[in-house]
Amino acid sequence: MSEASALLRDLAQALDPTHFIVGVGEIACAREPEVLVTQALGSCVGVALWDPRLRIGGLAHVMLPAASCSAATGKRHRFADIAIPDLVERMVDMGAGPRRIVAKLAGGASMFRGESGIDTIGDRNVAAVRDQLERAGVPIVVEETGGSHARTIELSTATGILLVRSYTYGIHEI
Amino acid sequence: MRFNTLSEMQIDALRETGSIGAGHAATALSQLVGHAISIDVPTLEVLDVGEVPELFGGPETLVAGVHVRLLGDVGGSMLFLAERASALALVDLMHARPVGTARAFSADEEALVTHVASILMSAYLAAIGRLADVSLLPARPSSTLDMAGAIVQAVTSDAALRADVALLLKTRFYDADTSVDAYLFFLPDPAGLGVLLGRLGVA
Repeated sequence: MSEASALLRDLAQALDPTHFIVGVGEIACAREPEVLVTQALGSCVGVALWDPRLRIGGLAHVMLPAASCSAATGKRHRFADIAIPDLVERMVDMGAGPRRIVAKLAGGASMFRGESGIDTIGDRNVAAVRDQLERAGVPIVVEETGGSHARTIELSTATGILLVRSYTYGIHEI
Repeated sequence: MRFNTLSEMQIDALRETGSIGAGHAATALSQLVGHAISIDVPTLEVLDVGEVPELFGGPETLVAGVHVRLLGDVGGSMLFLAERASALALVDLMHARPVGTARAFSADEEALVTHVASILMSAYLAAIGRLADVSLLPARPSSTLDMAGAIVQAVTSDAALRADVALLLKTRFYDADTSVDAYLFFLPDPAGLGVLLGRLGVA
């Protein structure tokens, strides 16, 4: 991330301290009343975890299925097989009960119309996320994945509601 | 071979190739629309793919994107991006009418922008191919209008299997009355880039 964009993000958070923006390939946890936001999910998958009793939330912006997919340098939490176990662990460290945590998913779209050969990345990301959640024993209560449109999501740690925004379908809650 | 280790000389060679490709694309587009259109490549730079959405003011900015996968001796991707307003201005430029005439980015506008981007990319790939004596073929283009961050992610998630930086050719389309800025990203895989620079005599 460039200095200017980091500054803009800090500014946005200073203006609205209850919203925390989770960047591409990052994870974050928070308690009520914070809202965790991640923007412009395309083929990436947003994984929102929540403990309803303690109202602790976690959000991951997953870009690729597994660390074995890329030798390139970059954020380690862009991979589903690293982001999800780490996110669950961090929430448990904050006091969340591993058996209480539930998951909501959004993203995993195929962004381009027409044939380009990259249509399967979103599907592969969703499959990898489901697999990692199953291993962690976290049930998926609802998901809005696939399609061909970008999504921005906001997880309310107070209610567990996941707000999904897109240019195509506007705003709705899942 | 990685982009962020490219020398000034290598960048100059790639920029020169970009200018030649832009010249050929301008000739092709002028023939297509029946009036003179020029294209410049004022700058070429190497950047981290994560920085790309910042060029448009943030990940949620609405942009038109056209993607092609590269086939042949050099694998990878090319991506054409223009802000929504610029994409509409490009449509007006092609029709030789005042900017602001096209208001909605519907199927006709999307098809025209895809066609223009496809000609630009083909011309650029042909210029590189001729200079470096490599075969570089674009697959069928695909397009969308959506959030900049999501488009870039979708392309680089594919390219991330091989590369994490992009070569950006800022591209200006213009005639006597109108000038439109767009962005062309070249993401060859590292092995392909090595072949390319070796053939250009600047490895």
